[in-house]
Amino acid sequence: CCGLLAALSLHITFSLSLSLSLSLSLSLSLSLSLSLAFCSQDIRNTVGNIPMEWYKDYPHIGYDLDGKKIFKPIRNKDELDEFLDKMENPDYWRTIHDKMTGTDVCLSDEQVDLVHRLQQGKFGDVNFNEYEPAIDFFSNEVMIHPVTNRPADKRSFIPSLIEKEKVGKLVHAIKMGWIKPRRPKETAPQYYDLWAKEDPNAILGRHKMHIPAPKMRLPGHEESYNPPPEYLLTDEERQVWEQQDPDERKLSFLPQKYLSLRAVPAFSRFIQERFERCLDLYLCPRQRKMRVNVNPEDLIPKLPRPRDLQPFPTLQSLVYHGHSSLIRSISISPSGQWLVSGSDDCTVRFWEVCTTRCLKTMEVGGPVKSVAWNPAPSISLVAVSYGENVILVNPGLGDRLICSATDQLISSYEEPEEVKDQQVQWAVPEGKAQEQGQRLILTHPKAVKQVSWHGRGDYLACVMPDDGSSLQVVIHQVSRRRTQNPFHRNKGAVQCVSFHPSRPYFLVATQRYVRVYNLIKQELTKKLMANCKWISSMAVHPGGDNVICGSYDCRLAWFDLDLSTKPYKVLRHHKKALRGVAYHKHYPLFASGSDDGTVIVCHGMVYNDLLQNPLIVPVKVLKGHIITHDLGVLDVAFHPTQPWVFSSGADGTVRLFT
Amino acid sequence: MSQLQARFFTDNKKYVIDDVPFSIPAVSEITDLSNVINKLLEGKNGDHKHVEFDFLVQGQFLRSSLATHLETENISTEEVVEIEYVEKYTAPQPEECIMHDDWISSVEADSEWILTGSYDKTARIWSLEGKAVATVAGHTDVVKGVAWVKRDGLSSLLLTASLDQTVLLWEWSSERNKLRARHCCRGHAGSVDTISVDPTRSKFCSGSWDKMLKIWSAEMSEESNRPRKKQKTEQLGPTRTPLMTLSGHTEAVSSVLWMDTEELCSASWDHTIRLWDAETGSQKNMLTGSKVFNCISYSPLCHRLATGSTDRHVRLWDPRSKDGSLVLLSLTSHTGWVTAVRWSPSHEQQLISGSLDNLVKLWDTRSCKAPLYDLAAHEDKVLCADWTDCGLILSGGADNKLYTYRYSACLSDAGA
Repeated sequence: CCGLLAALSLHITFSLSLSLSLSLSLSLSLSLSLSLAFCSQDIRNTVGNIPMEWYKDYPHIGYDLDGKKIFKPIRNKDELDEFLDKMENPDYWRTIHDKMTGTDVCLSDEQVDLVHRLQQGKFGDVNFNEYEPAIDFFSNEVMIHPVTNRPADKRSFIPSLIEKEKVGKLVHAIKMGWIKPRRPKETAPQYYDLWAKEDPNAILGRHKMHIPAPKMRLPGHEESYNPPPEYLLTDEERQVWEQQDPDERKLSFLPQKYLSLRAVPAFSRFIQERFERCLDLYLCPRQRKMRVNVNPEDLIPKLPRPRDLQPFPTLQSLVYHGHSSLIRSISISPSGQWLVSGSDDCTVRFWEVCTTRCLKTMEVGGPVKSVAWNPAPSISLVAVSYGENVILVNPGLGDRLICSATDQLISSYEEPEEVKDQQVQWAVPEGKAQEQGQRLILTHPKAVKQVSWHGRGDYLACVMPDDGSSLQVVIHQVSRRRTQNPFHRNKGAVQCVSFHPSRPYFLVATQRYVRVYNLIKQELTKKLMANCKWISSMAVHPGGDNVICGSYDCRLAWFDLDLSTKPYKVLRHHKKALRGVAYHKHYPLFASGSDDGTVIVCHGMVYNDLLQNPLIVPVKVLKGHIITHDLGVLDVAFHPTQPWVFSSGADGTVRLFT
Repeated sequence: MSQLQARFFTDNKKYVIDDVPFSIPAVSEITDLSNVINKLLEGKNGDHKHVEFDFLVQGQFLRSSLATHLETENISTEEVVEIEYVEKYTAPQPEECIMHDDWISSVEADSEWILTGSYDKTARIWSLEGKAVATVAGHTDVVKGVAWVKRDGLSSLLLTASLDQTVLLWEWSSERNKLRARHCCRGHAGSVDTISVDPTRSKFCSGSWDKMLKIWSAEMSEESNRPRKKQKTEQLGPTRTPLMTLSGHTEAVSSVLWMDTEELCSASWDHTIRLWDAETGSQKNMLTGSKVFNCISYSPLCHRLATGSTDRHVRLWDPRSKDGSLVLLSLTSHTGWVTAVRWSPSHEQQLISGSLDNLVKLWDTRSCKAPLYDLAAHEDKVLCADWTDCGLILSGGADNKLYTYRYSACLSDAGA
């Protein structure tokens, strides 16, 4: 059998269509009982499993069982013979070359069949049934006869000493507390009711966000099988309907009339309609609007009623007629008895406040741009600017002693030893002008737009607007007849200036900004951004911490200097450009005059408590001025002691509202 | 309510009718009621002449129909309505229109002469017939107040106060028509707006813009001891200094008057009326208003103060009230500031008021919504008004005209 196996383990080279060299493994060995009887005589080579090339140069090919050389068969076939053999021999495909013996062996049908079977992975023996029924000997069924007849061991019924020893050790360790017995497992429930604790009646319950699907519209008359004739579309309407985009159609179907319900056909759009409905429910973003239930009244800040903020001017009481042209500027004497107005008709008029009597008229050499009554009660001087000149006028009204003292003060000036060259000429008028009350004439290099007194009454600031020039603001000292130019450089065109009522500050308003300068330290303290395009006027609260600015773009900005450089409040009550703003000295009032011909009086309460913001309430719109040449009110001023406001207008009148 | 029960009564013995209730139509007005009374009187005595009557219901003049009046006054119509009837006040008769050169700031008249102060820096004396008698020229500024001090036969003393801070005391002899400034009262530091002479005619008080009231002597001083030279230099007479200065007002004093010989009353721009003791110079009482006071007047007949303010109302005050600020009544019909008020010297319920709305109004305090008469003669602001004892109403204003009216309360009085 072993010899047979060795013979089988030869490398058989098939030259048939498989063309692969099949190596037959030893696994075949099990039931290869068939005898390889393709050789008639037993010439078995004994060289073993060696490379047969080793015998390439020898005439023999190995040795047989008897130790005799096995000689290589004589091979005389050349290539042509081989080819012919291949073409002609019908058994060529089953002829294999045996390397061990060097002979060609022709395989029998059985052998070819065997090779095929082996190739297919089948057993070589045809009769071998690999699927024989298996007998389960070691089943769970207890059989009356044991499988083995071996008697039971003694140890199978004697307790184990080793186990006893191990258990004893464990028991000892548990007793000593070295090991602890396993804790019983906590039997916490794995699942619980998430909603168990919920109040089913709570509004914010589980279904708080439940939004019912929108209901479908109930069918109307047009959906009826027999609609009233007015619901049926005419031909024109039908054409329009057909031309319309399906989304734009008012009705998604055409109403149709049938004679009877029996005549109604099946609803052809049923699937489509259901689909659209589902699409609606699915795609429509349904969300609950959290509607905040706020009364709009509550959103308006609580302001006191104007009636509770009395007194403030409510009625036009007096009209001061006399000027023939627009009045650019007015000013009230500190006592409140007199009013001065400067007009474009080149006159300055002095009025008695309580009777509207014009007591004095003074002609000057040009349209008067600005007048300012000296705020010091001990000085009787009025600054009047026209063209390039500013004249200081002693009106001669009020206390005679004060008037003469003022004259004396001005005439007592002595020329200093060294005369400095000043940009502004100071001259004393003579003749008629002196009689009229003019005391000093200051000639500036440029036209003066505004004059403003310091609270003490000795310093006078003049504005000569000129963008970018270094000489826009000059400050005069009247008693020493000196002029100084406080700013070497000015940013932008200066619109108006004002002295701070209590501290040594100087406020300069350019087109967009208000700059606050400290005159002692000579530095910029603050820069207020007015948030408007062009500032027209400015007033400082007598307390000194608040400033209002009127602008040509209809706004009035209230600044709290302690709060911010941005406006604390911007009022847009006027319809046209603001021309003048003013604060009352004592009452919490401020007023603004505008080109729309109105003066708006507002209550502006400033509290001593720094934590409390100013209270600003518009209280009254005062009308009266006639709009002339698109100009309305040009200047406003408050009476120093009474809650009265004066306004001067383009119609050549000054009006008093009380 | 077409008819209502009314009983008529009167104080005038001449027109008494029987005290029985009448049923009269509710819509009847003054003329209807007046006709009813006249018919009744004619039935009583045959020689009765037609008289116009005015009617008062619970002290208020009837100015509309009876029904509406009762409704507005909340008077029950269920009971008998008591209606008082008085003879209708006749309208003031315009007499003279005296032209001035300038605005008239102040006026005061007595039984013979009219004194006016004007904005042309002079004061003028006119006869009651409107004839210019004399011009008082001496002030260097607008004359704001004038007053007669006393008349002693043919010579009179008068006062002018001016914006030039002085008050001048003049002596005027009407016979020779000579005027002499006897004293120049200096002391005020502001324009002197108002002067008032005390009832004894020996002192006067002036109120000024400088917030002060000053009391001066109105007596003539001895002249013999003064050197002749000084007399000439002092054209306006020797300077006089105030006897007393009353300070307390915080704003200009606009009006001052003597209530009696000891008591002064002043109204000011500081919204107060102050009562002063003229002897000690102390403040006795203060009434606080809400507006600037322009003028004040006191009636010794009804003991009421009337004030005109820088609003539309004439207000009546009780000067004796201690709680200070109680307005008894507001007379509202003007549309401008009230610049002048004056109580009637003879009638305790009548007063006149002048206003910047060019009107002078004659009021009866029993009718506070509508005046008795509007005297609409002025073409410009009314600045001053006066009412003399002899029933002459004067008003001057910014139209340079002084109007005089003759007014007697009743026709029958005038005839008497």
